[in-house]
Amino acid sequence: MEEKYLICEDSLEGIFTGIYEAYALREGHAHVHIQIGEEDNYRLFATYLHILPDPVKTGKVAQTLLKRLGESAYHWLCRAAASCYLDKGEAVYKAVVDAITDGSGGRVMENLRNSYVQRTFELARYTANEAHFETEFIRFQELEQGILFSRIGPRNNVIPFIMPHFADRLCPENFMIYDENRELFGVHPAKQEWYLVSAQGTVKPEQFQYSEKEEAYQELFKAFHETIGIKERENRRLQRQMCAYRYQDYMVEFNKK
Amino acid sequence: MDKGMEVRISPQMSVMDKLKILGEAAKYDVSCSSSGSSRKNDGQGIGNTVAAGLCHSFAADGRCVSLLKILFTNECIYDCRYCINRCSNDVPRASFTPDEVCELTMEFYRRNYIEGLFLSSGILYSPNYTMELICETVHKLRTVHRFQGYIHIKAIPGADPLLIQRAGYLADRMSVNLEMATAEGLRAMAPNKHRKNILKPMRQIQNGIVENKNELTLYRHAPHFCEAGQSTQMVIGALPESDYQIMSVAENLYDKFSLKRVYYSAFVNVNEDKELPALAGGPPLLREHRLYQADWLLRFYDFKVDELLTAERPNFNTAIDPKADWAVRHLELFPVEINRADYRLLLRIPGVGVKSARRIVSARRFGSLTFEDLKKIGVVLKRALYFITCNGRMMYPTKIEENYIVRNLTYQNQMGRGEKLPFMADGTIYQQMSLFPQMIS
Repeated sequence: MEEKYLICEDSLEGIFTGIYEAYALREGHAHVHIQIGEEDNYRLFATYLHILPDPVKTGKVAQTLLKRLGESAYHWLCRAAASCYLDKGEAVYKAVVDAITDGSGGRVMENLRNSYVQRTFELARYTANEAHFETEFIRFQELEQGILFSRIGPRNNVIPFIMPHFADRLCPENFMIYDENRELFGVHPAKQEWYLVSAQGTVKPEQFQYSEKEEAYQELFKAFHETIGIKERENRRLQRQMCAYRYQDYMVEFNKK
Repeated sequence: MDKGMEVRISPQMSVMDKLKILGEAAKYDVSCSSSGSSRKNDGQGIGNTVAAGLCHSFAADGRCVSLLKILFTNECIYDCRYCINRCSNDVPRASFTPDEVCELTMEFYRRNYIEGLFLSSGILYSPNYTMELICETVHKLRTVHRFQGYIHIKAIPGADPLLIQRAGYLADRMSVNLEMATAEGLRAMAPNKHRKNILKPMRQIQNGIVENKNELTLYRHAPHFCEAGQSTQMVIGALPESDYQIMSVAENLYDKFSLKRVYYSAFVNVNEDKELPALAGGPPLLREHRLYQADWLLRFYDFKVDELLTAERPNFNTAIDPKADWAVRHLELFPVEINRADYRLLLRIPGVGVKSARRIVSARRFGSLTFEDLKKIGVVLKRALYFITCNGRMMYPTKIEENYIVRNLTYQNQMGRGEKLPFMADGTIYQQMSLFPQMIS
């Protein structure tokens, strides 16, 4: 039978709409595939369908997944869908299909014998780990009006996963987190719900003005960070292992950006 | 705070200078974890706590920086041999004011530099006076600034039980340092401290936590007392104690005092005290590492100290980790069949951790696992392969024989492909490895 490739947008909506369309084809799932982004090497005897993200279809898929697989498995799938690896679409799609057909349901992520589940698990773990590191290593800087601003450069799309943590923790603060790689802002107005804004070249964080006190606190923290290390135990390799250069680039105490 | 509480130190010193002196003075305290407490923000102030804890940075020595770890003052009336702040030392002295500590904590916390505050202190005038200063500061932070992040308070031995209790209601975690594993050791090293005075507040905090649990079951909104439990630390390598002695003390602290953590601190001869070991090769980091590995085995892997060490074999093998060491001495239990062994036995396999063991137990319900699956699950096969079978088969034909397995495990180490030690930069570890053949004979 002819292979069918559904070309989807690189986003949660893209993948969920793809899953919706794949089921809507009613051709089974063995020969249907989800692909993120354009194909650069078209196959013979295969059909390519372009799928546009659709909020209604996304909502339906999300509802169904939550109902059939439960919250925990659903979050695993979302984290996998935020991965920077493009085979995520196929992995998530096939993991969902297998979860629903083999009856593993809410325990789908425990079925680590299944190669699609394995891949979904790997991708989701990578996103979760990176989100965890960002919650630790994000450095806020105070802007003129007392707004806290942080710039990060994560590989996976972690902002949706770290905003709830900071929205709770810094509840009375106005703050925003900016993902350089995706030009995406997570914005939290004090004591309100947070939301995402896609900047796409309209906002230039380099032009933000910092508050007067900002530099003094940065200097204080740098001094503290320097004194806290024990000279006799110095171990830069371990430091780098625990906090990779790609995070250090954004942290004040390592004195870069 | 009234005038009677004014501190001796020049008030004109800048916050920067104080932070440098008092951060420097606090750095030998090991505990920096921010785990064990889980609290949402109540909408009234800033902060929350996360059960697993968060490390916000890593210092040049590779240790995590989670809390703003400072002394309130490094003035001290005691003269402990190992301590940089002992009264006979001529070091610059400083003291914070409660307001300075609050401001630093709040501003660092907003910027996500830290997870909270770790407040310890030298003994200024008397234990009571010092404990009161600490309580005052933390009370201000909790009530005036409405700080809801993590706070770790050091209980000052000899302070009034009422003050300790007050601190417990303000802090997430409290700790009293045991300092030395044995009472004789403590007497020799810290003439002003007594084992009895250290164990007393420890017991008080333990009882406080138990009573608080009962209160909380009755009244859901009762205030929390040391939600994240208590911890302690011991200095390693200043005195000739064996690993067996140290681990037995730790086990006792876990069992009888319900401690959350025991920390081990490789001795650094900061005072160049002639009566203390000079330790030419630097602090005993490998020993400290082995103690922590064993500590994890006690807390998460259901091991007992007597299984790992005995009076005849009182120290850990430097060449292989305590778990592998235990396994090669109990080869009658291996190989273990991954698809059938119970959780406790899985945990005892070198190369299988808590997470892997849990994943194995849940994944094998769907069908039998292969070596390939194990790899994906996170099992370290190059260590585990000598100890496991999948569906009755071993990964490679290997001998199940002590010397053979040890040789293979340590050979990987020498090639830099085996056990990942957190320090190797200077090559001292390699030298210790070469001593190994004499040790197993």
